[in-house]
This record gives sequence, C-alpha cells and structure tokens, in this order.
Amino acid sequence: MSGEASPREVLEKYVERLKQLLPREAIVDIKVKGKDKVYVEVKREYLPEVLEKVYWELGGYLSSMVGTDDRNIDSHYRLYYIISIEEDIRHLQWKPWIVVYTKVPWDDPSFKSTTPKVPAASWYEREVKDLLGLEPIGHPDPRRLALPDDWPEGLYPMRKDFKFYERPPRQPKPYMFRPEKVSEGIVQIPMSPIHALADEPSQFRLFVDGERIVDVDYRMFYVFRGLEKLAEERFTYNQTAFLAERVCGICGYAHSTAYCEAVEDALDIEVPERAEYIRTIMLEVERLHSHMLNLGIACHLTAFDWGFMELFRIREKIMKIAEILSGGRKTYGMNLVGGVRRDIPRDKAKKVIELLKTVREEFKRAIDIITSNELFVRRCEGVGILPKKVARALSVVGPLVRGSGIPRDVRYDHPYAAYKYIRVKPAVESGCDVLSRLMVRAREVLDALDIVEHALDQLPGGPILNEEKIELVEYAKGIGYDEAPRGENVHFVVIGKDSRVHKWRVRAATYNNWPALPYMSRDYTITDFPLIVASLDPCYSCTERVVIVDVKSGKTVTVSYARLVHLSRKVSQNPTHTPQLL
Amino acid sequence: MSFIRLVEYSSRRGVATHPYPEKPFEVDELYRGRPVLDASVCIGCGACANACPAETIRVETDYEKGVRRWTICYDRCIFCARCQEVCPVNAIELSREFELAARSREDLTVVAEFKLGSCAKCNSYLDVSIRHVELAQKLLEKSELVNIMRELAKYTVMCMKCRRSFFVEKLGEATRGG
Ligand code: SF4
Ligand code: SF4
Repeated sequence: MSGEASPREVLEKYVERLKQLLPREAIVDIKVKGKDKVYVEVKREYLPEVLEKVYWELGGYLSSMVGTDDRNIDSHYRLYYIISIEEDIRHLQWKPWIVVYTKVPWDDPSFKSTTPKVPAASWYEREVKDLLGLEPIGHPDPRRLALPDDWPEGLYPMRKDFKFYERPPRQPKPYMFRPEKVSEGIVQIPMSPIHALADEPSQFRLFVDGERIVDVDYRMFYVFRGLEKLAEERFTYNQTAFLAERVCGICGYAHSTAYCEAVEDALDIEVPERAEYIRTIMLEVERLHSHMLNLGIACHLTAFDWGFMELFRIREKIMKIAEILSGGRKTYGMNLVGGVRRDIPRDKAKKVIELLKTVREEFKRAIDIITSNELFVRRCEGVGILPKKVARALSVVGPLVRGSGIPRDVRYDHPYAAYKYIRVKPAVESGCDVLSRLMVRAREVLDALDIVEHALDQLPGGPILNEEKIELVEYAKGIGYDEAPRGENVHFVVIGKDSRVHKWRVRAATYNNWPALPYMSRDYTITDFPLIVASLDPCYSCTERVVIVDVKSGKTVTVSYARLVHLSRKVSQNPTHTPQLL
Repeated sequence: MSFIRLVEYSSRRGVATHPYPEKPFEVDELYRGRPVLDASVCIGCGACANACPAETIRVETDYEKGVRRWTICYDRCIFCARCQEVCPVNAIELSREFELAARSREDLTVVAEFKLGSCAKCNSYLDVSIRHVELAQKLLEKSELVNIMRELAKYTVMCMKCRRSFFVEKLGEATRGG
C-alpha cells in the first residue's frame, strides 16, 4: 500500500513510545526482532505497571502469556506477556507485537499479579501458578485452574525436573465454586463435566434465582493432556507439527500452522509462496466446516432442526473438499516446519472450485431461510449480550469479539501465510448478542468460500517446502499465530536441544473467551444458557446430566442432558412460556 | 419462508444420506488410509519408525532369533503418510482402506521379520538386515569413485567390533608402508 509507513518505521515509533511511556528504571533491555516484534525486558517489580501502560495506553490486547523454566540456563524462570498492538492503528497492515518479559529468580518464585489492572491476564497467571509454581501475588482469584483437584500440592508439572511419565499419588480435595455476589434464595445448579458431544468437557455452576441466572462459575481443564510436556520431552520438532494438530478436534490445522509458524519465526525459515497459499486454503476450509457446524448447532438448540440438517448436508460437501485436497476429512496432516508436504494438483483444484459453487449457492439459500425464521431470530436477538467494554478488557477473540463491534481478526491485523497477498476485511456486527455472533460466522463462511476459490485459482508455482537444512539455534524464541474459526490461536516456541523444543505454549482461542461467559449469562434464563455457551462456540452445553441443588433444603434433582436441550427447544415453540425445571 | 415452501424446497433436495454399510463408501483416489507394507521390498532400516509421529511403527533387532522385527499397530496410526514419505525403497504406502474396526489390538498389528546379516569375519549378527547390507553394497558398487567404494563395501558386512579392528589394522599397514 502506498503512503503507508513501513513495518520497520511503525516498530521504531513504538519503541520510542515505549521508552517515553515506561519509567526508565523499569526497562532492562529493548530488542527488535523481525519486522514486527519488540521484546522488552523489564524488572520484575515493575511488571504490572508496565503491562497496564502497554495494554491500555498503547492499545494492546493480551494474546498470550508464557512462563518458562530456564533454571538450567541461568537459574531463572521467565514470564513473557505477548501483546498485540491494535487500537488506533487498525488500518496498518503490519501492527507490532510487544513481548514484555521478566526474569523470576529460582529461589523466589513469585511476581506481582497484573490481573487487577488487566483482567485478561487472570487465567494465564493462575495457570503459571499451577504448572510452574510461580505465585502471582495479589491475584483476585488464586484458585486452581489447570491442574486437577486431586493433584498434590507443591508439584509443578511444567518444571523441567518433572518428567512426563511421572504419576503422582492423588490427594482429593474439593473445588470451591463461588458466585460474585451471594444472596438469599439463590440456588446452585452444577453441571457435571462429562459432555456427550463437545470437544471440551467443563463443569458449570449456575447460581439461579428462580429461572434467572445470577452468576456462573466454571471449572475447566478436565482434558488437560500435557501435550506441551510431551513435545518438550519426547517429540522432535517435526513430529510436534502432527501433535499440534491434535490440540483441537475441530480446528487442529490452525494449531499445527501456528506451531510451524512459531518455529519458522524463531529460526527465520522462509516458507515458499505456494506453501503459504496451500496453508491458507486449508485454514479456510477448516473455518468453513467449523462455522457451519456452529450455525447448525444454534438451529438445533432453538428447535429449528431443518436448519441443522440442511447446514450439515452442505457441510458434508466441505468435508469432501478437505478429503480431495488433503486426503483426510478432518486431519489434514499437511504441515511441516518450512512449508507443506502435499501439493494441490490442478485437476483437484478445478474439482473443488466446482464444488464450491454449489456450496455457496446452497449456503446462501439456507441462511436466508434461517434468518427469516422469526422464532429463531427472537431466540438469538438480545440474548447473551457481551458489552464492548468487557470484550476489550478480557482480550476476547474471534466471532465473539467481532460480534461485539471490535474488528479484531489476526488475518487482517497481523497477516500471515497468504493473507499478506489476499487481504481479508473483518466481518463485524454491533449487536453484541448471540445473533450478531451467528451473523459474523455466516458472513465469514461466504468470505472463506471466496478466499478458497481465489487462492486455488491463483495458486503460484514453485516448491511447497523449504528443504534447506534447518539450523537449530538453541533458545531462539518464536511466535506463531493464526485466526482459527474460534479466533486467534497463539503459539510460543523456544527452541531446545536435540531437535526438540525447550518450551511450547499453545494458546487456543477459547482460552481467551471462556472468562467472558459469566458476563454473557447473567440475567438470562437457564434455558438460554445452552444457546449462550454455543454462541461462544467452544462446545455447547451438552452436559451429560444436570444436578439441581436447592441450597436451603439440600434437595437435589437430576435433569438429563436430553431434558435440558428439550427445555431449551421448547422455549422456541412457545416463547411466552418458561418451562418449569424443578 | 412459509413452512409449506420449506417442505417443498427440501423434497426437491432428495435423500442426502448414504446407505452405508450396505453400499460401500467411495473415498477420493488420494485418500489417506491404512498404510500397507510390502515386505518383499522393505529392508527394515527403521526410517519410518523414526519419522512416525504416533510412534506406532517400531523396528527392533532381535539378536537371539537373528531378525530385524518391523511392527505396526494400526490403532495408533494417524494416517499422516510420513512413513511413506521417508521410506528409501518405497516399501510402505497408504491405501484407501479406512474400515479398521477390530476386537483386539492383535488384530490390528502387523509384524514383518527380516533376517539379520552376519559379520564376514566373526560371523556374529550385524544390527541390520541382509537386504539392507545388499542394498548398501549395490549402491556403493554403482558409485563413481569405484575403487574406494569397492573397498568400503567390504566394511558393510562387518560388525562394529571387527570393523574397528580391521580399520586399525589397515591404518597401521598404511602408515608403516608410507
Ligand atoms: S523406511 Fe521403508 S524400508 Fe525402512 S523399515 Fe520402513 S518400510 Fe522398511
Ligand atoms: S501413516 Fe503416519 S502414523 Fe501411520 S504409520 Fe505411517 S507415519 Fe506412522
């Protein structure tokens, strides 16, 4: 783009601003890496102050936070806060990443919590406490996040002296759910962690007053599998590309791409243009099937099963497309560090373009029908409001943030792969409700269809994999990111010895979105809850069973998943009537 | 759209489901299914085992039986085709087969054994198969630097220990001679 400042100029401007903004004694070191990253080392005690300034005054969003155990290098732990600078410079193609990091000495593993100033840091700091034993002093909610409740105290699995095959003895301990406000007559509804269909089990505790949700608390990480540990101790960096694809059951390819990008960033490996296009094509194919699934589920939960069936019928064509392009319906297995492994022959591209035409036509038709169904719209409109201010404070990502009027989209903000050449305009809606999120997804499906078609048509020639010998630079750091269907995925990699990674931190989109759930659910009814959770698109509330506890009498009632869905659907059939749950 | 028109619209679409398993399900010609080993070609080198991200191919040396044992267990396979990609003799290839339901792990395990080569000097087992040795020799013989390579080809049929002493001997000869 002519007239636009070069990435280097933008970056330099931000380095200057950092120097002006931050207290001089706080900064230890400022280093520029690549064309859009600044690493700022600060003294430990200044961490919250610095982050507050970078987050709120420089217009940053917290994209990830990583704790590393570097005791074998220099007797320190390190904390990296990865911040994407977006506000005020939304129009620029290359926005800077600012990585604020600090050293934590091995004999005093604690740091001042940033969460009171930047709420988005809450989960990250709890996780670092669980996995590395670094204590965030002054954190408002220091309960366990990632480790199971029966994990012994004082044992930290991501420390280097803990081996991946260790199985410590269990020490059962109850988890305390708590509402923000406690008052008379509030009933707790626990939803147990087993989901029938979701990709992520989680336990919700609804605090209800009659049918109205007063507050929501949750317990997650029932499927914390320690993939990162496995990669650090057992896998080579190329095997990890396949492991990364198993992070998620829906958007695995986005993870594998983000991982490869992180290694490529760390080691300055160039990816051939054709490979960038192929990655983009597969990422968009993944978005297509994921969004169609979510839209279908929303129809199902509002008892409009025609929409569910029709969208899944169309989605099947996308699965076929994935099969034609990659040889697998769901896991593509295409990525290696330095490019992709499988080429797209011309005749396959042609076949896919033909299929896309029918998909586009049928999808448009289906969405027209769905959105002209008044019952469906009435269930989704004005429900699950996530105010823009909350979305900003929590650094929410994906259709959730775009549905609340903030045009955040990594494809646009930090173009990677072929998005450097194919510019994507973020799809934004301003209703802040379930309907807005669904509309964002519907628009993104149409955009994705265009992108895939365009990219297949314009596929540049050349190699698909950079086959130069990879020089592994020990302790080189890299960040990889992409816009998965649910929002930004960020991977952070530190290269280690013996073809392994020293640190691999996966941050999936939903990690930033879950904390918004209580804000979206308050004051709606229990029957809206499955729909609100579904609009977040983590997994809908397909809890296996729901136990309802009346706090006063101690009476419990068990409601099956089928009944909860039934209730949710029944509201659609008669919106004026609220079914009795108890 | 009224519901009547919706019904009409849907009926025009016809049946979307496929009568599986009564009728076989056609997959794309480049579908990645069960990897199949051609044991008549495989040399048991273990490159596939090294690359396999799921670590479901194992290659071990059994000195007692004198075999190189190649094992795959399909229950862990992720059909990524890394094995096919790295195999030096194209002995393994992904098929289009995807129906892998089985009652036990054994039913999903395939084992192939290759006789170990033996040392030309002390006759103990080498840690590679006979086929592997033959292939190495063939490649060395085909090489341009004929003389040196012919000489080197002798080493390939020796165990580590004999190779070392042979080498020291040669070195001694060479230095004495020079
Ligand atoms: S890489 Fe090929 S030749 Fe070597 S063990 Fe595997 S299948 Fe056999
Ligand atoms: S296809 Fe992949 S997972 Fe399966 S055996 Fe080959 S390398 Fe291993």
